Amino acid sequence: MDTQTLVSVGMILATFALYIVIAIYTRSKETSEFYVASRGIPPFWNGMAIGADWMSAASFIGMAGTVMILGYDGLPYIMGWTGGYLFLTFLLAPQLRKYGRFTVPEFIGDRFRSDTARVIGAVATCIISFTYLIGQLSGSGVVIGRLFAIPTWAGVLLGVGIIAIYATLGGMKGITWTQVAQYLILIIAYVIPIIFMSLQVTGNPLPWLTYGNVIDEIGAIDRELGLTEYFAPFSESTQSQFIALMFTLMLGTAALPHVIVRFYTVTTMKAARWSGAWALIFIGVLYLSAPAYAAFSRFILMTQVAGQPMDQLPAWVDRWVDTGLLSVADTDGDGILSWQEITVSQDMVVMATPEIANLGLFVIGLVAAGAMAAALSTAGGLLITISSSIAHDVYFRLLRPDASDKKRLKAGRIAIFLATIAAGLLALDPPGVITQIVAWAFAIAGGTFFPVLFLGVWWKRMNKQGAIAGMLIGLSTTLGYIFMAMNGFTLFGVGDTGAGIFSVPINLITCIVVSLMTKAPSQEIQEEVINLRYPEQMTYKDGEIWLDKEDNVQK
Amino acid sequence: MIKVSNKDAENYYKIRIVMIVSFLVIAFTVSFGVALFAEFFSQFSFMGMPLHYYMGAQGSVLVFIVLLILNAVLNDRLDAKYGVDDSENERIVASSGRTLDE
Repeated sequence: MDTQTLVSVGMILATFALYIVIAIYTRSKETSEFYVASRGIPPFWNGMAIGADWMSAASFIGMAGTVMILGYDGLPYIMGWTGGYLFLTFLLAPQLRKYGRFTVPEFIGDRFRSDTARVIGAVATCIISFTYLIGQLSGSGVVIGRLFAIPTWAGVLLGVGIIAIYATLGGMKGITWTQVAQYLILIIAYVIPIIFMSLQVTGNPLPWLTYGNVIDEIGAIDRELGLTEYFAPFSESTQSQFIALMFTLMLGTAALPHVIVRFYTVTTMKAARWSGAWALIFIGVLYLSAPAYAAFSRFILMTQVAGQPMDQLPAWVDRWVDTGLLSVADTDGDGILSWQEITVSQDMVVMATPEIANLGLFVIGLVAAGAMAAALSTAGGLLITISSSIAHDVYFRLLRPDASDKKRLKAGRIAIFLATIAAGLLALDPPGVITQIVAWAFAIAGGTFFPVLFLGVWWKRMNKQGAIAGMLIGLSTTLGYIFMAMNGFTLFGVGDTGAGIFSVPINLITCIVVSLMTKAPSQEIQEEVINLRYPEQMTYKDGEIWLDKEDNVQK
Repeated sequence: MIKVSNKDAENYYKIRIVMIVSFLVIAFTVSFGVALFAEFFSQFSFMGMPLHYYMGAQGSVLVFIVLLILNAVLNDRLDAKYGVDDSENERIVASSGRTLDE
C-alpha cells in the first residue's frame, strides 16, 4: 500500500468510527423512535439530515462528471434534483405531516381506507428504495474497490456489512444524528477541492463567483479546436429529453418515500415548511458547487493535461487508465496528447480531479471519505424505509395488529438485514450505470406516487378506486417505458431516464377519471381532507372551522 | 374553541393557494421556461457565462432557495394574522395521540 492509500483508508475508517459511535450512543429503544426519531428533530438539523439522506453516490460522485461531459445538457440533474423540493414543500410535506401517519404506504392505506392500496404502496416503496439502494451499494463498491485494489464485488460486500450494522443498531434516530455528521463531512469534502482549484486557476477562493469566466475560456478553447462549445444547448441530447428528464427528477424528488418520511420527524406543518427550506439550503451548497467542480476539472484537463507530450504524462494517468475509466491514445501519432484523444468516464471526475490538480494526500483522502458518506447515508435512509414498509405497513398494520413493540422492532431489523443482503447481491452485477439506475428510481417514484399523494391531500373527491388504478397504471407505464426505451423504442426523443413525463400525467388523469366514475368517499374522509388545508390549531367540523385555543383572546 | 368565520377560513385557504401557485409559476419560468428558449437566452451573458447556462447551473437553484424561504416566512405571517400560534400547534400534535412518544 502506498502512502495515498493509507491516508485515504485512514480517513474513511476514522469517519466510519464516528458514525458508528453516534449510532450506538443514540441507539433507539422505542418503535416510534426507530422509525421517525421522536418527531422532535428541529428543522435546522432535520434539514441537514435530509441533505445527507438526499445526496447520494449519484450526486456526489456522478453529477459533476455528468455536467463536465455533457455541458448544458447535464444541467437537468442540477435543476431537477433541487426543484423537486418546491413540489415537496409546497404541495405535500405539511399536509402529510398534519395527517400524521408514519410512512407513505400508511398514509395511502389510511387516507383511502384500503388495505389493497396500502399493500401496493408498500410494494412500490420497496421497489423504489431497492432500485435506489442498488445504485448506492455499487457506488460504494467502486470507491472501496479502487482504494484497496480489490475487485468491486468485494468492495460492495464490505460496504454492505458496515451499513447493515449501523442501520440495524441505530434505527432512524441513530441515523438522523449520524446523517448530520455525514452531511458535514461530505459537504466539506466536496467544497475544499473546488476552493483550491479556484485559487489555483483564478487566484480567488470563491469558486461560485469565478467559474463563469472559466466556462467562457473553455468555450473559447472548444471553438479553437473546432468543437461544439461546452455551454451550447442540446448538443449532447435533445431538448425534449432535457425537459423530460428535468420533469421526471423534480416530480420523483417530491414523491420519494425515504425523503417524505423525513418530514414525519418534525412536529408541525410550520416545522415541515422550514425543514424543506433548510434542506434545500444545505443541498444547494453541493448543487451550486457541482457545475464549478465540472468547469475547473474540464479546464485543468484541457490546459494542463492536453498538449503534453505522451511520454511526460503525470503519474495519476496510469492509475486511472488501469481502472478502465480513462483512456488516452495518441491516435494521430504526433507524440502529443490532444484534448480529443482523452476519453474520461463521468464517474471518475470527482474522485480523480483532486489528484489531477495535485491537491495533496489529505484532500484526496477527504474526497474518498465524503463519497463513502454520501453512499452510506443514503443507503441508511433507504434501508429504514424498506424496513418500515415491511415491518410497519405489512406486518403490523395488516398481518399482526396485536404485535408488541418488541416484535415489530425485531421484524424491522430482520427486514433491514434481508434487504441489505439482497441489494448487495444485485449490486455485485448492477443492471446499469449508477446515475441511470438512480434516475429509474425517480421515474418510478414520481410515476407511482406523486399524483396519488398530491390528489390525496388536496382533492377530497379522490377515492380508493382512483388511487389503486392510478398507482398500478403509473407503475406499469413507468416500468414499461423504461423497458421499451432501453430496447430502442422512444417517443419524441425521450429516453428511459425521462419516463416520468409520460407516466405522471397518465397516472394523474387515471386517478381523476376513475375517482369521478366511482362512488365519492365518505363524509368523514372528505372532512379529513378539507382539514388538511389549515394548520393543526384549526379544525374543520360540519362545514365550520374552529380555532383551538386555551385562553380566550380574540384575534 | 373559537369559531373562525367562514369568510376568514376561506380567505386563509385562498391566500395559501395564491402563494403556492405564484411560487410554482416563478419556479417553472426560471427552469423550464429558460430551457424552452435556451437559444434565445444564450445571446446574453451573466457572471462571465451565457445566461441560459447561468440559469441552469446557479440562477434557478438560487431562485428555488429564495422561494422556499419566502414560503416559510409568509406562511408564518399568515398564521400569525389568523391567530395561529405554533406552540399551540405543537401541544395539539402532542396530545392528539398521533405520536407514540410521550
